[in-house]
Amino acid sequence: MTAIVATERLTKRYGTTVTALDDVSIEIRRGEFAAIVGRSGSGKSTLMNILGCLDAPTSGSVAIGGRQVDYTDRSALVHLRRTAIGFVFQQFNLIPNLTAEENVEYPLLFNYRERGERTERARALLERVGLPERASHYPAELSGGEQQRVAIARALVHDPLIVLADEPTGNLDSKTSTDILELLRELNRDRQTTFVVVTHDRECESLFDRTIGMVDGRVVA
Amino acid sequence: MMAKWLEYARIAGRQALRKRARLLLTALGIAIGVAAVVGIVSLGEGIRCQSVAMIEEQSDLALIEVTAGLHGGTIVPITASKTASIASLPHVQASAPVVKAAFATRQQTYLGVVGGRWDEMVAVFDPVLHQGRGYRAGSADAVIGRDLADQLLRYEGIRPGDTFGVLVREYGESGLPEDREGDLAAVGILQERDDALDTAVLMDAATVTALAGERDTYDAVYVRVDSPENVFSVVEGIEGLGLNANGAFEEIESVNNLMDVVILVLSSFTGISLVVGALMIVNTMIISVFERMREIGITMAVGASQSDVVGLILLECLYIGIIGGLIGDLMGIGFAAIINTVGRSLILDRLGANFAGFAEADITLITPQILAAGMLIAVLLSLLAGIYPALKAARLNPVEAIRQM
Ligand SMILES: Nc1ncnc2c1ncn2[C@@H]1O[C@H](COP(=O)(O)OP(=O)(O)OP(=O)(O)O)[C@@H](O)[C@H]1O
Ligand SMILES: [Mg+2]
Repeated sequence: MTAIVATERLTKRYGTTVTALDDVSIEIRRGEFAAIVGRSGSGKSTLMNILGCLDAPTSGSVAIGGRQVDYTDRSALVHLRRTAIGFVFQQFNLIPNLTAEENVEYPLLFNYRERGERTERARALLERVGLPERASHYPAELSGGEQQRVAIARALVHDPLIVLADEPTGNLDSKTSTDILELLRELNRDRQTTFVVVTHDRECESLFDRTIGMVDGRVVA
Repeated sequence: MMAKWLEYARIAGRQALRKRARLLLTALGIAIGVAAVVGIVSLGEGIRCQSVAMIEEQSDLALIEVTAGLHGGTIVPITASKTASIASLPHVQASAPVVKAAFATRQQTYLGVVGGRWDEMVAVFDPVLHQGRGYRAGSADAVIGRDLADQLLRYEGIRPGDTFGVLVREYGESGLPEDREGDLAAVGILQERDDALDTAVLMDAATVTALAGERDTYDAVYVRVDSPENVFSVVEGIEGLGLNANGAFEEIESVNNLMDVVILVLSSFTGISLVVGALMIVNTMIISVFERMREIGITMAVGASQSDVVGLILLECLYIGIIGGLIGDLMGIGFAAIINTVGRSLILDRLGANFAGFAEADITLITPQILAAGMLIAVLLSLLAGIYPALKAARLNPVEAIRQM
């Protein structure tokens, strides 16, 4: 299998004292369902943000889909976020005054698609994540788990190469967390979408193809 | 592309509607400024309109007197070909090229003589004869204005039908005055008209030049325009020929110029309230960007570029502007109505009976242009006010914005 994302000696420093990422070289293969685990402050979010083209490394390089990411080229970063990457954050992922369906469609607005196609994709994904009848509900009307399902549908709506989920279950109870992680796993199997999930759930580690451990900004085996 | 922006407009509309009271209050800030400007400008327009109406009523607007022009220090004379060009200008209903001369009676009563063709005079001035008849070509017939005729009768006993002697003062080659003499027959007297013809003597052009000297140009052309609205286009045509145009329309021009200045000054003073309204928008939008920081970060994470974010925020400002413009225009109409009822009696008190024309009419005038301008000001100002908050939003660091809770 080929690497869909590869980092090479990735380092991120804040000032001279904080090294959030230290010489990180990893490969995520196509279709992989990978977990990133590590203590708070170990650099998990920093890595996710750099992989997601939201943040730039201090040194080192990232290749997405076999191409080097140029972190100085703003429009190239926007293009990657539009086409190659899907994000799920820990909580409050959704735009409060848009309905579930509109939230799912939201990325397709910037990645412009016709309204008909948008609605169709959003409906299908809402159905897939088990919320077909909540399409017209606002985020405030949904439970935390339901909100995360909507966020997952949104992360998939533009068929990204890779979905980056930073503690998607961090604010959920353990039953709901397991449901969400299982849903992600199913989606990974069905759609062959690559997932990198930051998680604290030790119990669910068996769901993942691989677990990448982080300690103080370094990757440990 | 268009469809994409329509979608952006829809999303921005949802955002704007999220805090309705805030939206309304912000829009109201700009609306008050717009209303003040609309009200003041409508007062200016109303006064302009009334003044023009008064001029129109009191003078013959559709009459233009063309005189020789001045071009780069040389005189542009009224030649026969120029008179033909004038006659063929659009909206010119009739024209009368004339020569002018100054005669005196034996008792030194001054006679301002206008020589032209009677039929053309009739077509331009539509004179009504009080007594007698018009003059004939090639004759010494003279038609005399009413005031002058009264004077001649009173002091010199000249009556309609009388022939009377006149003196023409000419300056010969030596530069010394040479008086020539001639006789005129007073064949007709005009009815009083309240214009320059009341003190004029109308005659055949050939008779005038026989007495006052031959010339190959005219001294003036009187032009009758088909309707007062077209006067300015005819004036333009005349000025295009290098000639001068004079007439009552000049009063309108000067009223217009004056009112332009007055309106400009007044509206720039009231415009200060617009600045306050715009600052309110800046403030509101900065707050709203701050409140939505996380949302903006997520929007960027899912693929919005900086310009998408700027566009979304400016679209929200556009809504504020449109709502502000609408409310402002409506309030401006109300404001104008108040000025009209309260202000009219005040203005009438001050101006006195001369301006009785104002008593009936409205002193404010709302035109579609004023309302359109009010809307445009509101929209442009809102967009302008949105630039800073929009750039602030676009320059947010998405990582930090998303970390916000
Ligand atoms: N903007 C910043 N300025 C300075 N230090 C930062 C900044 N962002 C992150 N850091 C530091 O970088 C290190 C890694 O942070 P990061 O958020 O990646 O940790 P994490 O593994 O995601 O932790 P958590 O599990 O709590 O989310 C931390 O020590 C953090 O304090
Ligand atoms: Mg983190």
